[in-house]
Amino acid sequence: MKRLPPQAGEWIDRGKPLRFTFEGIGYEGYAGDTISSALLAAGVRVLGRSFKYHRPRSVLSLANHDVNALMQVSSCFSVPNVRADVTPLAEGLRATAVNTIGGVARDRARFLEWLAPFLPVGFYYKAFHKKSQFPFWERVFRRTTGLGTVDFSARRKGSPKRYAFCDVLVIGGGPAGLAAADAALRAGARVALVDENPRLGGSGLYNLGGADGERQAEETRRLAAIAAAGAVVYVSSYAAGYYADHWVPIVTPGHVVKMRARAVVVATGAYEQPAVFRNNDLPGVILASAAQRMLARYSIAPCKRAVVLAANDDGYRAARDLAAHGVEIAAVVDLRGANSRGAVPPGTLVLEGHGIHEALADSQGALRGVRVAPLARDGTLDGYQAREFECDGLLMSTGWAGAAPLLYQAGARMEFSAELQQFVPAACPPGVYAAGRVNGVHGFAQKLRDGAAAGRAAAAQSRKPGSVDGAAPSCRQERAQSGMPSHPYPIFAHPKGRNFVDFDEDLQLKDFFNAAQEGFDNIELMKRYSTVGMGPSQGKHSNMNAIRVLAKILGRTPGEVGSTTARPMFHPVPMSHLGGRGFMPERATPLEGRHAAASAVWMPAGQWQRPEYYAVENQTREAAIRAEVAAVRGAVGVIDVGTLGKIELFGRDAGAFFERIYTAKFAGMKVGSTRYGLMLDESGVVIDDGVIARLGEEHFYFTTTTTGSATVYRELTRLNAMWRMEVGIVNVTGHFAAINLAGPRSREVLAPLTALDLSEATFPYLGAREAQVAGLPARLLRVGFVGELGYEIHVPASGAAHLWDQLMKTGAAHGIRPFGVEAQRLLRLEKGHIIVSQDTDGVTNALELGMDWALKMDKPFFVGQRSLEAMGRLPRKQALVGFTLDEPDTGMPKECHLVIESDEPAGRITSIAHSPAVGRVIGLALVAPALSKVGSTLNIRIDGGRMVRATVSETPFYDPKNLRQKQPETA
Amino acid sequence: MTCPINGPRPVSEFFYHGELRPMPDPQAATDDAWADYVFNRNGAPGVKREWWYHLPSGVWFIAERDTATDQVLRTYLYSDAVAEAVQ
Amino acid sequence: MPWRLLRFALSKKHPEPRMFRAHAELKRSYDVVIIGAGGHGLAAAYYLARDHGITNVAVLEQGYIGGGNTGRNTTIIRSNYLTPEGAKFYDMSVKLWQDLSEDFDLNLFYSNRGHYTLAHTDSAMRTMRWRAEVNKHYGIDSEVVDAAAVHKACPMMDLSCNGHAPILGALFHAPGSIARHDAVAWGYGRGADQRGVEIHQQTKVTGIEIVAGKVKGVHTSRGHIATSKVLCAVAGSTPRITKMIGIDTPLFIHPLQAMVSEPLKPWLDPILVSGSLHVYVSQTARGELVMGASLDPYELHNTRSTFDFVEGLSSHMIDMFPFLADVKVVRQWAGMADMTPDFAPLMGKTEVEGFYLDAGWGTWGFKATPASGKTMSYTVANDRNHELIEGFTLDRFRKYAPTGEKGAASVGH
Repeated sequence: MKRLPPQAGEWIDRGKPLRFTFEGIGYEGYAGDTISSALLAAGVRVLGRSFKYHRPRSVLSLANHDVNALMQVSSCFSVPNVRADVTPLAEGLRATAVNTIGGVARDRARFLEWLAPFLPVGFYYKAFHKKSQFPFWERVFRRTTGLGTVDFSARRKGSPKRYAFCDVLVIGGGPAGLAAADAALRAGARVALVDENPRLGGSGLYNLGGADGERQAEETRRLAAIAAAGAVVYVSSYAAGYYADHWVPIVTPGHVVKMRARAVVVATGAYEQPAVFRNNDLPGVILASAAQRMLARYSIAPCKRAVVLAANDDGYRAARDLAAHGVEIAAVVDLRGANSRGAVPPGTLVLEGHGIHEALADSQGALRGVRVAPLARDGTLDGYQAREFECDGLLMSTGWAGAAPLLYQAGARMEFSAELQQFVPAACPPGVYAAGRVNGVHGFAQKLRDGAAAGRAAAAQSRKPGSVDGAAPSCRQERAQSGMPSHPYPIFAHPKGRNFVDFDEDLQLKDFFNAAQEGFDNIELMKRYSTVGMGPSQGKHSNMNAIRVLAKILGRTPGEVGSTTARPMFHPVPMSHLGGRGFMPERATPLEGRHAAASAVWMPAGQWQRPEYYAVENQTREAAIRAEVAAVRGAVGVIDVGTLGKIELFGRDAGAFFERIYTAKFAGMKVGSTRYGLMLDESGVVIDDGVIARLGEEHFYFTTTTTGSATVYRELTRLNAMWRMEVGIVNVTGHFAAINLAGPRSREVLAPLTALDLSEATFPYLGAREAQVAGLPARLLRVGFVGELGYEIHVPASGAAHLWDQLMKTGAAHGIRPFGVEAQRLLRLEKGHIIVSQDTDGVTNALELGMDWALKMDKPFFVGQRSLEAMGRLPRKQALVGFTLDEPDTGMPKECHLVIESDEPAGRITSIAHSPAVGRVIGLALVAPALSKVGSTLNIRIDGGRMVRATVSETPFYDPKNLRQKQPETA
Repeated sequence: MTCPINGPRPVSEFFYHGELRPMPDPQAATDDAWADYVFNRNGAPGVKREWWYHLPSGVWFIAERDTATDQVLRTYLYSDAVAEAVQ
Repeated sequence: MPWRLLRFALSKKHPEPRMFRAHAELKRSYDVVIIGAGGHGLAAAYYLARDHGITNVAVLEQGYIGGGNTGRNTTIIRSNYLTPEGAKFYDMSVKLWQDLSEDFDLNLFYSNRGHYTLAHTDSAMRTMRWRAEVNKHYGIDSEVVDAAAVHKACPMMDLSCNGHAPILGALFHAPGSIARHDAVAWGYGRGADQRGVEIHQQTKVTGIEIVAGKVKGVHTSRGHIATSKVLCAVAGSTPRITKMIGIDTPLFIHPLQAMVSEPLKPWLDPILVSGSLHVYVSQTARGELVMGASLDPYELHNTRSTFDFVEGLSSHMIDMFPFLADVKVVRQWAGMADMTPDFAPLMGKTEVEGFYLDAGWGTWGFKATPASGKTMSYTVANDRNHELIEGFTLDRFRKYAPTGEKGAASVGH
């Protein structure tokens, strides 16, 4: 094949040659070429190998409706499964065919074709499954399967997504789409137009067939110029799918544009369908439209001498286009009967009522000729009367299938038109319009009228939804004038087979008959059993023929057989485009820098990072944590608790509101005091806990768990909306920082920083105060989570670092030390305080916690109360207990090790640690009620299956009377 | 989805809570009836009144939605009238 | 090349009979009517016929065999459940799975790949240990492994997950497997059919006849049939059926979506699940990456796709596997998951005599197929709940006694 002389409108730029390699051999193409077109122009006949039999393949559609030319393409790293037919050529590009052993020319896996007789449809279900042998066969399969190869060195990337809005989105820039865009622009709509090709125009610029075609191309160019001037145009881009509310992601070469349209015109055209006959997959057998694209876009003659198989006017147009570019037409073979022929160049042989009995291969496996046979009355071919024609190109033009996936996704009702032999939309949902070939409208003038009607309707709908009903605009007339674009059954059996229906999956005609014979005789089952349409091109060139074959088998019409669901993606989309830049929000407290400076080792806590502990040079993690614990117990420590949720409540009913959402009582709560609360769901399961401070009669401030703040706030606002109490709720989690100052010396550390009277009498345990601390407006809560004298100090986030620094400064003399989450976990464990979601799980109810003091069942109502009442009458399933390990030397249990009783699981450890204060290993466990009495023995199975014993103990383990929290001034 | 305050927004901006269901009187309900309320759901498809929340602005509202087709018929703020309608 | 494929080359006619007969008419009565010809319904029919000698059975299917969640899931099979009830039930299932291909004489591509549930936080590590301990107690092969072991199993993965969620370790479950999902329904269907069960596709149930609290018959789009036992195995359509007879359940229906890549030369051996990143992924024998995430966030009774889903999942896939940036997603789809509040199924007898429920399969139904067939056939045949499903009956909610599978609070697949 050689390039034709330069012609107007060609897409290649002959001034810009590009060098590239295919299978290690250097070639040259032009800017504007695709990889396939450049290779065709260079005379390369075999571009790929088929999936199953490794048959030589070349271009079929040149439009991404098949994957015959699927390549591994390398530049700085290697990209698998590149569709060479539509991928622009680039300088220095290196391509190889995927899925070959030893290269595309002499693929050693081609022997697999000899095995074809042993490999009927679904063969892999029928053998290889002896248990002892399957692993071996599976390895064989996994070696031979797959297409391209992943390059593990490929870089992470994600393209930013864009958002766009328009009145009318026109998908498809062929004649119908251009007419729709033009009409919508005239109606004053904001129009966006998408086309997968690098230039607008579609078939208007290549499906020519003579002088008429040239005039049509002129009109197409005129409309394209109007669209380019008036609409936002996305070329080399495709709509990945249609999603609810006219939400259409447009995949451009670099990124995804998420388009929200008011109305959508689907003018996606049609996929030309291959005829099915023996060897219809040889390199050189191509769709007529592919040949026309080669001629017009890349100035390539697809062959020197062609046979054209036609069953519609398009085939004749293609024949005239070939002849006009100097290709010899050996014959036009028309599947239709007498008097259906179109115009052909003088002297061209036309064989009406004939078909292709088989295509013949040369030594390379490419086309060298065809055998043409007359059609019998029953539509079969009589092979005995076949005549051979020498040719290096066979063009197939026997029919179309609407490119309708977007219509299916939009919920259009599709019906089969016997006249058109095509599935066409019978009704589209509001705001969705079909135009052109996908709408069953095939002639050029008809497409323009149909497109214009759709564009007008879409524009009107976008101005005033409901102004145009959802049905497709009347296109009956245009459809009626479309002739017979598709042959009802261009499918021919051959005793030797190799008549392919699905080129991706190497499925032959007999496979469908055999699948039906095995009971897979509805279209969905047939698809799943045979895998038709499940390859990378998703049935674009195969589904329609599969439906026709099944209809034939069942004696039904294709309409009765129905089609399968067409799911997104329309064409496959790279994950980098879909994933975009990713969005994983991370939160930091205002003290992050202080922690980092103090060598914090971080751990995730929901969206936050918290210091697990502060590393000390030449000290182990354990030693560092022990030192932090010792500081809190012996002197003073400071921990950033700013990740806690912080919520404020205002209003007359604030107290009553708390009564309903927490298990504790609030009605009689004094201003200036705090209370611990458990929050339950309706089934009584514990979902959160926190400290509630009453700052005024109608003003509360409370904390939630770190991970619970957003959900708690959201649910409270819902309950408030439903109960409509006089309450205002404000989430101030980010506004406030919070620092817990804890330890026997904490009062002395705090005192210099505030004028507030910190004496036990005026600011007692569980008290809450508002005061200036270190010059900042602060809220101080006397809490005892870690079991020492302590102040939780909440200040505006902007002042957090200042407060921290001041505390560290005044604390220096007292041995202050920052402590992390690990130390806090141990300190609270010594006090027997629970951590919701560690000592509870998704089904732990409040009765099981042994915290009955916190459950005020005599209140009129709180969320979860009624379920607790009911459960109170039923046997308990488990109980949370404290325990101490009997002999710590026998082995250390871990959290979630099981308690075993009578050889059955009877609970699990939820928290465990060695307590320096108690001098023993202590823990909490959820255990069977029978084991929950103080003094009961727990048998714990630890790593390695060994058993250790523990004894259920009272909690708190440390300072059981809670004296240290209430510590009066230094004695 | 159309937020009654903010107008039509992408559905990804919303949080779905579930069907608006009247709570039986806790005092009057039997344990079984209460369990049915807590656990059972009207799982069949149909037009339902549901709680939805617009995340960026924090607005709770009721959407009448056909759970077979995902079509939202109406949205409005919760009110006494709504409370009475579901009782 | 196995000898058994030889006959296809030697025989002139395709030497395979129908897998399932076509029946022109419904009979007037059956001993048992099973609603739903998915894996579960057909498995129950198979074991009813094979193990209990009950062959006068009709399986009614409104669509086609295996067209519901059986053909829409991501085919992961495992038994590393958290509760004793779950662990024992799924252990039975995995053991049945391992022999199914030979039982059916149909290759299900039951592929033992090993299953890693990745832990990105210390609380997730705790949950993994909990599951491992329960599993080990019941003889199930599960263990907690560290990040180095994960790296060894999948050296190409970015253990830091792009810095978002560093992997601390995993629950490794050696028996974790995948299988060719459709074939499971076909295998059970063929086996049931061969034993006399009638499978009626395109037959919709329009009503269930109840007299004095007992099942008497079923109304269908093809006429009435008399029966005293109905097994409802319709996953996401369960509430439509229970509504016909006035049974309330805790089921709520959310779509569950999945997506698949183009075929790639196999590189991913194990099945990987990340609860934090909402990703589960395996590579099939065809070379496709099959990927799933969490449930859709709201109730819906159809199988539409959303773009949000592919965006989120692709982003997290690239966090784990940066080199997949140029790999393309070919297709996405959805199924309707019938969820329960405690993430455990709803099985067994109901308040209506002769009406048996096999539902609540949420996102974990595929792996349960054999065990659900076994236990439900026993339950229907004997009108007594099989001991392995006693923790899964509908009345547990009246007892405020959920089966705590939700305690694991990780991805349920």
